Amino acid sequence: MRSYFYESPSSFEELFQIGKTTSNEVKFLAGGTDFVPRLNYELNEVPKEGQKDLTIISLSKLGLDTISESDEEIKIGSMVTFTEMKKNNIVNKYFPVFEETIKELAGLSVRNVATIGGNIMNASPAADIVPTLMALDAVLVLKGPNGEREICSKDFFKGNGRTVAQEQEVLKEIVIKKQKGTSSFKKLGRRKAETLSVVNAAAYIEKENNICKKARITIGSVAPTVLRCKEVEEALIGKELTDETMKEASLKVIDSISPIDDIRATAWYRKKVSPVMVRRAIKSACDAE
Amino acid sequence: MSKILNFYLNGNPVEVIAKPEQNLLELLRDNIGLTSPKCGCNRGDCGSCTVILDDKAVKSCMVLALTVEGKKVVTVDGLVKGEELHPIQKAFLEYGAPQCGFCTPGMVMAATAFLLENPTPTKYEVKEALSGNLCRCGGYDKYTEAVLAVSRGEFGPVLKGSEINV
Repeated sequence: MRSYFYESPSSFEELFQIGKTTSNEVKFLAGGTDFVPRLNYELNEVPKEGQKDLTIISLSKLGLDTISESDEEIKIGSMVTFTEMKKNNIVNKYFPVFEETIKELAGLSVRNVATIGGNIMNASPAADIVPTLMALDAVLVLKGPNGEREICSKDFFKGNGRTVAQEQEVLKEIVIKKQKGTSSFKKLGRRKAETLSVVNAAAYIEKENNICKKARITIGSVAPTVLRCKEVEEALIGKELTDETMKEASLKVIDSISPIDDIRATAWYRKKVSPVMVRRAIKSACDAE
Repeated sequence: MSKILNFYLNGNPVEVIAKPEQNLLELLRDNIGLTSPKCGCNRGDCGSCTVILDDKAVKSCMVLALTVEGKKVVTVDGLVKGEELHPIQKAFLEYGAPQCGFCTPGMVMAATAFLLENPTPTKYEVKEALSGNLCRCGGYDKYTEAVLAVSRGEFGPVLKGSEINV
């Protein structure tokens, strides 16, 4: 069995120092609601041969758990838990869509520990916060030994469990510009509570006299990463937002998705419900004030 | 590599040796010998291991033991004052909510933490709050009714967060 080590650095310098000196596999720990069950599972299995030792580095003492606001944007620290985020006045004032999203995300006792950064860096195609972040065009700030860099959320994910972040880079904060439009998130799970998504979708719409000016539509759990649906957006922009155009536009999502059969649903079913979820998200974003 | 861990358990400071790969549930059950949190699934699905960590209900199998350094953990044992049960426990008994009883410690903790935050919930809110706790006997309705009865004050005043953390 491999050995495990735990570190809880109180500054980024200390953290990068640990990363530099160790030859172990390094895992950054945020809330741990995905990592700890995986660890439990690993410990119950027959140990694999030749595995590197694991160093778990907790990010809890780095002060990443704040939400702040400036004239143009809000910044959410990566270690903010979903419960804190749901209750936060700044978030609720500018982005009520987060409350809608977080309500659907796991259950209360998971949200009390799970963090937004963990949900992002896990890079699950079924992550619930990611479609919303992408629809809001959020910018993710990575901090590594060589400094910080900003990456747009739509370019951040490379596949199931893979992001552009390098081994030593930590997600520091999420920056979202204040915007004029309205947005909405819709999730379809196997049941209503405490479930993973079969398909989830988010929409951001800016309109003038019911004509769509700007649109960002995202859909999750139907491809190796959460997707931006350009085809749907193009079909919406410049058109009047009637039920008919929404329906027509949402059907375009089928071309860009590549769902698979898994434990939660079949590819066939996902193809059937994807346009429905997209349409519901668009409709609800249009109706939101 | 094991480390020394200090935290507050049911109001008492404790110092234990914890392994980095241990979760809080294992620590409580195996190292400390407190078996009230139950291990149902060990992957955060069932909620029978729910404890209160700094006034919030968490599933202890999803929390790494070493991360509770300096925090306050409360289990069912911490709710009882001598022989006097907590209002939630009284209500569960009165309503006959527990059947086999395996999920009950988790339900008690989830309900207690929920009422700390929302003392006057609606039925829907109670259901939502307990949705992370599975009861294979199917006693959900009675659990919900019991929590609502407590919120109406039928079983005496509900303790505030600071009082259960003493």
